Amino acid sequence: MALAIFAEGIYKTFRSGWRGRKKQKEALKGVNLQIEEGEIFGILGPNGAGKTTLLSILSTLLLPDGGEIAILGMNGLRDGHRIRERVNISSGNANFLWSLTVKENLHFYGMLYGWVGKRREEKVEALVDLFSLGDYRNVPFDQLSTGMKQRLSLAKSMLNDPAILFLDEPTSGLDPSVSIHIREMIRSIQKEKGITVLLTTHNMKEAEFLCGRIAFLKEGQILATGTAEQLKRMVRVGDLIRIEFRGRVVEEDILRSEGVINFSVSGNVCEIMVDDGESRLGPLVATMAQGGAQIKRVTTEQTDLEKVFIEFAKNTDPDLGLCV
Amino acid sequence: MFKNWIITKRNVFSLFEILFWPVVGFFSVGLLTSFLELDPDMSGFILVGIISMSVIQVCQIDVAYVLLYDLWSKSLKHTFIAPVHSFQLILGSWMIGMVRSFFVFVVLTLSSHFAFGFDFLRPGIGALTLFLLGLFVISLVVGIAVCTLVLLFGYKADVAAWSFSYLLSLLCGIYYPISILPSPLPEIAGYIPLTYFLEFFRTFYGFQGEATNLLGWGFGLTVLYLVLEAILFRAVLRRARRIGTLIKLSE
Repeated sequence: MALAIFAEGIYKTFRSGWRGRKKQKEALKGVNLQIEEGEIFGILGPNGAGKTTLLSILSTLLLPDGGEIAILGMNGLRDGHRIRERVNISSGNANFLWSLTVKENLHFYGMLYGWVGKRREEKVEALVDLFSLGDYRNVPFDQLSTGMKQRLSLAKSMLNDPAILFLDEPTSGLDPSVSIHIREMIRSIQKEKGITVLLTTHNMKEAEFLCGRIAFLKEGQILATGTAEQLKRMVRVGDLIRIEFRGRVVEEDILRSEGVINFSVSGNVCEIMVDDGESRLGPLVATMAQGGAQIKRVTTEQTDLEKVFIEFAKNTDPDLGLCV
Repeated sequence: MFKNWIITKRNVFSLFEILFWPVVGFFSVGLLTSFLELDPDMSGFILVGIISMSVIQVCQIDVAYVLLYDLWSKSLKHTFIAPVHSFQLILGSWMIGMVRSFFVFVVLTLSSHFAFGFDFLRPGIGALTLFLLGLFVISLVVGIAVCTLVLLFGYKADVAAWSFSYLLSLLCGIYYPISILPSPLPEIAGYIPLTYFLEFFRTFYGFQGEATNLLGWGFGLTVLYLVLEAILFRAVLRRARRIGTLIKLSE
């Protein structure tokens, strides 16, 4: 699979003062990222980690101080205009021209993306339908609810049928039910169109629900990258399977089983930490039974990404400000 | 152009911009000339100035609106992530500005004719067209300067949208000939194209200045400033992408 986004050694420091002499904040400290075409990739991290800065750089809104970037094979620092034809962005707490209606806003941005006449009309109508904005098409932006504003933002981001869609905290400020709806919308659009999505969030559940791979970003550095399961395995944090048994257990058999991270026995209760509780439970119970144990009761506890992130960030910041 | 047009259509304050303020300003000055019992040529001198000022104010603010509306709506990043060149946005706004300010021009010239007996057509259609074109291109220069300041200084700079044209009225001989200005202001006025366009138009009303080739100077300086502004705007936009202005102004 070809790379949609390649970034190597991205540095960014925000400076203040006239001519930027005063150093203000080191936002990114050598970020490397490789994202394949058609992937939903999540950048997860607390507020101030540098997520929006990274996304802004990759979407050409911000220039880095150093590093190499290739977007769809184009040079991220030199080919800004060409890249902007193939990417788009949608942010949480979306803002558009206040007095323009939903339809007028889409028409305006449609013009910026080169749509003209009847084809623009058709495109706008298709997006209004896709994002269920029909009842609001003539409502000015400043009279829309936060959820509707977010739908408009997503609709606007699809105007140029982007190959890469950047989503900056797309459910920020939304209530849980609207957030779930927006996430489902993102997933179905990505599936339907096969676009690459780079999403930033500080919401663990969102990342786990939407993203194939995730990068943990903290204080401008990527701590780890991988699927949720890979990350859990990396920090030896996983789902917990608790099995009450009678008889005996063969510890070596359990430790040799696939996906086992940790194992302990206390009396007639055996606690096994695995990378994925759902898929490992059956084989483990079978292994124990074969070893002579009589299984009485089984419970599982799932580990979410928050625990994994905390393990990665341990000893560096007690107040992560994460949202679960 | 679409954005400016829709907002103009929807916003009642746009009517104030293109009717109320110009008409009130025009009649205030016009009635002052009547009170002072100025001769018709002297009244004409001042009326040409006030009408020119109104045309520039309306046209340049439209050019500046290309960024100001996005600034006020905090939607700047959505415009700059689109594959559109800045000059396309600016020229679109300028076109709406020309339409709106031409409307102002028509209203004020008709008012000057019926209320004060002033004949704006005396110089002929050709000279009038060149004069109007001069006013429009100066508005473009002023509007781009405002946009540049907005990208440089953000919200602090939006006041420039209304201030620049007043500075012109002080320096360029809107209400008086620049010869009465204390040094070095006449020399500074010599670097402003509006000075030449006003002087050109007033020659048809008996005010012959010392300078020659007035249109050449006016348009020549305008082209020079537009080229310099294009280079500066490009550099300022790059700076905005470097220091994060586009992001900050969208939050």
